Amino acid sequence: MTLTLEKVSYRYAGAATPSLRDIDIALRDGEVLGLVGASESGKTTLCLVASGLAPRTVGGRLTGRVLLDGKDIEAARIHELAGRIGIAFQNPATQRSGVTETVFEEVAFGPMNLGQPLDEILERTSSALRALRIEELAPRDPGQLSGGQQQLVAIAGLLAMAPSHLVLDEPTAQLDPAGTTLVGDAIAQLALDGTSILLVEHKTDLLARVCSRVIALEAGRVAMEGAAPDVLSDPRLGQLGVAEPALVRLRRMAEGAGLDPARLERAEASV
Amino acid sequence: MVDLAVEGLSHVYGREVRALQGVDLRIASGERVALVGQNGSGKTTLVRHLNGLLRPSSGRVLVDGVDAARLTVAQMARRVGLVFQDPDQQIFAASVRSEVEFGPRNLGLRGGSLRQAVDEALDAVGLGTEARTNPYDLGSARRKLLALASVLAMRTPVLVLDEPTTGQDLRGVERVRSVIESASSAGRTVIAISHDMRFVAESFARVVVMHAGRIVLDGPPESVFAAPAWDRLRATYLEPPLAALIGESLGLGSTPTDEALIYAISSS
Amino acid sequence: MLGPAILVLIAVVIPALVAGVLSRLLRTSLLLTLPIAVSVLLVNVFFFPGGRTELLRIGPIVATAEGLGFAIEILARILAISGAITLFYLVTRPAELVLDLERRGVSPQLGFVANASVQTVPAMVERAGAITAAQRARGLDTEGSVWRRARGIVPIVGPVILGSIAEVEERTMALEARGFTRPGRRTLLWAPDDSGLQRLARWFLLLALPVLAAARATGWLS
Repeated sequence: MTLTLEKVSYRYAGAATPSLRDIDIALRDGEVLGLVGASESGKTTLCLVASGLAPRTVGGRLTGRVLLDGKDIEAARIHELAGRIGIAFQNPATQRSGVTETVFEEVAFGPMNLGQPLDEILERTSSALRALRIEELAPRDPGQLSGGQQQLVAIAGLLAMAPSHLVLDEPTAQLDPAGTTLVGDAIAQLALDGTSILLVEHKTDLLARVCSRVIALEAGRVAMEGAAPDVLSDPRLGQLGVAEPALVRLRRMAEGAGLDPARLERAEASV
Repeated sequence: MVDLAVEGLSHVYGREVRALQGVDLRIASGERVALVGQNGSGKTTLVRHLNGLLRPSSGRVLVDGVDAARLTVAQMARRVGLVFQDPDQQIFAASVRSEVEFGPRNLGLRGGSLRQAVDEALDAVGLGTEARTNPYDLGSARRKLLALASVLAMRTPVLVLDEPTTGQDLRGVERVRSVIESASSAGRTVIAISHDMRFVAESFARVVVMHAGRIVLDGPPESVFAAPAWDRLRATYLEPPLAALIGESLGLGSTPTDEALIYAISSS
Repeated sequence: MLGPAILVLIAVVIPALVAGVLSRLLRTSLLLTLPIAVSVLLVNVFFFPGGRTELLRIGPIVATAEGLGFAIEILARILAISGAITLFYLVTRPAELVLDLERRGVSPQLGFVANASVQTVPAMVERAGAITAAQRARGLDTEGSVWRRARGIVPIVGPVILGSIAEVEERTMALEARGFTRPGRRTLLWAPDDSGLQRLARWFLLLALPVLAAARATGWLS
């Protein structure tokens, strides 16, 4: 199932200028699409539009169409979209329901809300925990986990609703290095499993690792789009306010110093 | 010029949580020190002792030779400015300018010198044109820069930054870098907590690694990110910057920054 | 005269024993009623109108047996009430209570609010603490004169409220993204056990209410 944004523009209620202009993108089945851009370039707005929270919960005006499997989702209510597009944010604490005593219940929260039959809920919850390799966290209190673990629980909670797409808005932003690695590995595994993911991150090293395609936004418009290795090594990234992946920067510096970048790449492959 | 020293500092939260276990640290005036480690390693607890928000369970904190126990937090704020990680934990004013004025006003600045301190701080973080904007009309990344400006304006001899580059885009990181540069050239001590090892290697002359309430490594990036230290570094779940890994792999010795690596390759 | 009070005490003490919370119950309800108990005792023992049988004399003040009897009666009633409330609090897990209500038809959103409200206060207190720390680091004086400390209210209350509002927005989005606003019932993973015996006990208690009220009103139970 493809998630398509067709000529989408979006203006928040009371805003002077639109946050998104003429966005045309498609997230295909099994694809991991990276989204980069300077702060306030529209990345979060794009996530909210892709998940349906904008305009439903956030308010504002959407022009253009958002299509899921070719069908316009305009008429769908937010709880109808909940089971089809899952969205996670950067703050682990606000994504916890706050009313569950175990991770298992927390992950089952979504399916429970959707009124699915009990055995299906149990099955989906277990498989979501397995997909993120957090089965041993099942009996633990979600409030007592580390930031990285909480983010994994949040993502598992989305997976349990068996969405066709996941939208992750800077999931590692507030995590320490161990947490970032934990979540990064989990996303890489999900990518291998064929989950469709829209991933926003400043950490371009992570995007280089898991994304097949990358889109760069500038002032609400698509400024660059293409295969991940191409976009992430494009020299225009800096102007767009995006930090290059570490290896890309080293390669560029090596070339600037008249050195052969191949040596660097071989060395990087071996570490 | 303010020297900081921490002697045998231990801190226990409640009755059991030992956040700091006998830490000894000296930071001379004007140094640039990065404090790294996992969440829970004690970094935040340590810096909160430097401005008196926390008091030692045992050991002591010396600010310019004076025992911090004898000073109130308001008095310490004059010497040590601490920028918190979450700007939304401090923003309360209706305009960027009023928000930045709060700190220096508390320290007694008025009139022309207050205005100057605020203007300089706003320019330093790139918010000079937003003086009348409502802070919540800025995105969260720029609110973080606002929080930085609000402490910069206090012109404290010591500046402590808690994760200044987290959530910043390229330009934001460059802003933070240049703020650290100018503060340092003006003779101020700069201490930063960070999870970005590359940023740390490039901007700081000294790296202090913490784990489970203790300091496990303390030295310049050349030693802390060099191969002999990798085992200890990795035991705290930290990875050296890519430049260091590649440098070792190419047999070029310790190259903690991209510049050092390129230089080493060119000279070999 | 102590009849009703003793009846309730039995209805409270025996279940507490069965539930294994008797010692906590006694400790808590005694602690709760201690301040009242002291004043009730003092006032009534010494100043009960119509007290004749002298027990103790301290100068012009007399302790009477009637006063003591009255005080004990009042205390027994207070203990009965506080005991019942404490028992409820000690044997009920809020999550279970809310789930049971939901099972019987209360809207899940209402149940959520009940559960989540409990969490809000400690979270806000923690937040206020973090904000106070941030403002003190900017020179806000919380250790000076009352006037100075009063000036610190806005810089602390402001971010508490603004931040809570911003957080509520994020929380709402996260909840909606997980189908929270879907109308109708949701599937429950579990619900507290109910047995025929418990149902019987509930009906018995419910029916006992009008019976006891009538007995009291007609003076049969005093």
